[in-house]
Amino acid sequence: MSGTQQYLLLLGMALGTVGVVLSLYGLARIMGPAQREPGKDVPASSGVLSRDPVWGRYHARYYGYALLFLAFDMEMAFMYPWAVVYKEVGMVALLDMGVFLAILFLGLLYGWSQGAFRRQ
Amino acid sequence: MTVAIVLLALLGSAWLLAVIEGWMTTGRLSPAAPLYSGLAHLGRESIVPRSPDRVFFEAAPVLLLVVAVLGMAVLPLAPDLIIADLGTGALFINAALAYVLVAVIMAGWGPDGAYAMIGGWRFLGQLIAYSMLIVMPITAVAMRAESLVNTAIVSSQAGLWNIVYQPLGFVLFFIAAMALAFRAPFDLPTAEGDLGGGVDAEYTGVRLAVLRLARLTLVVTLASATTVFYLGGWHGPLFPPWAWSLVKTLAVAVSMLLVGRYLPRIREADLMRWCWILGIPLALVNIIIVGLLILVVP
Repeated sequence: MSGTQQYLLLLGMALGTVGVVLSLYGLARIMGPAQREPGKDVPASSGVLSRDPVWGRYHARYYGYALLFLAFDMEMAFMYPWAVVYKEVGMVALLDMGVFLAILFLGLLYGWSQGAFRRQ
Repeated sequence: MTVAIVLLALLGSAWLLAVIEGWMTTGRLSPAAPLYSGLAHLGRESIVPRSPDRVFFEAAPVLLLVVAVLGMAVLPLAPDLIIADLGTGALFINAALAYVLVAVIMAGWGPDGAYAMIGGWRFLGQLIAYSMLIVMPITAVAMRAESLVNTAIVSSQAGLWNIVYQPLGFVLFFIAAMALAFRAPFDLPTAEGDLGGGVDAEYTGVRLAVLRLARLTLVVTLASATTVFYLGGWHGPLFPPWAWSLVKTLAVAVSMLLVGRYLPRIREADLMRWCWILGIPLALVNIIIVGLLILVVP
């Protein structure tokens, strides 16, 4: 199978799965719709309807991690091609990536010393 | 044909897992229970909350299921029993699994309910904790195989399985896989005890059935990924390759359930702290150890 065919197959599987789910929904619809009753559609909140938009309830206290995460996530983009040619290139590859990782790791240690790994 | 066999294996494993999970929680072994439960969900009302983000609310369960199925599509059950043996298979599965986060946040945001919303954002914190522990161990696996093709990764383990070659990577990947599938003790977004179901809370009827099926399928996909990357995939004596793949996948999935059954739920702050202070340095050490092993041992 060529690359294009493989991706087309994957796309077909995604669409097929959506189709199966939609037909399940259709089946459930045939068996009867939800009855309209007052108060039934209130989200679970111990019986009290919250008036504020609910996204105000959560404070993302992990932003210190999130910044470090960006640095590490970028690094992974380089790691995969490096991993494939690693054995071929040999020791130099280990040193190349070692220096890069050491710098990143220093950043991690610095972040730790500055309290990045604390819930803000 | 291959598509049908793999999908059937996926569905069968999910069913078996549901039976085993029921066995572990109720003490009764009832093979028909998942079927009855699914049919009952089909007949129940599927309520939409009063001010939903309708697109997110509807898309979340479907997206989670699609992600699990696509992840399975690039994992081999046997040398020729694989739907799409992509040139970048190990990368594709990462890309697919990244959408688990998107689906869970959609499920949290969509219904406009406080518990669901908190569950969804919690999972974003959980992603920041586990995600590096998924990608870094896979890098070490790819280093040994010199390839991102999943069948090549399995072939590279013909002599020695990766669980022996890089045990540190296996442990990290296993834990991260449990966190990715949000199974107990990492079930922060659904946390029955403190969030009343979290992202599951607002889903009822057929939508809940799809969401539950998606979660079970996700566990099977991740167990299959663990098998392919660390347990030598289809390699094994006597039995045919596909049987080995299935047995190993189920064993990993059941051990995930077992671990979750005997551990208390971990706090989000603790999870992130341990993953970054201990997990990521260990993952880097794993890459360096594997790198040295590859160069020293021919």
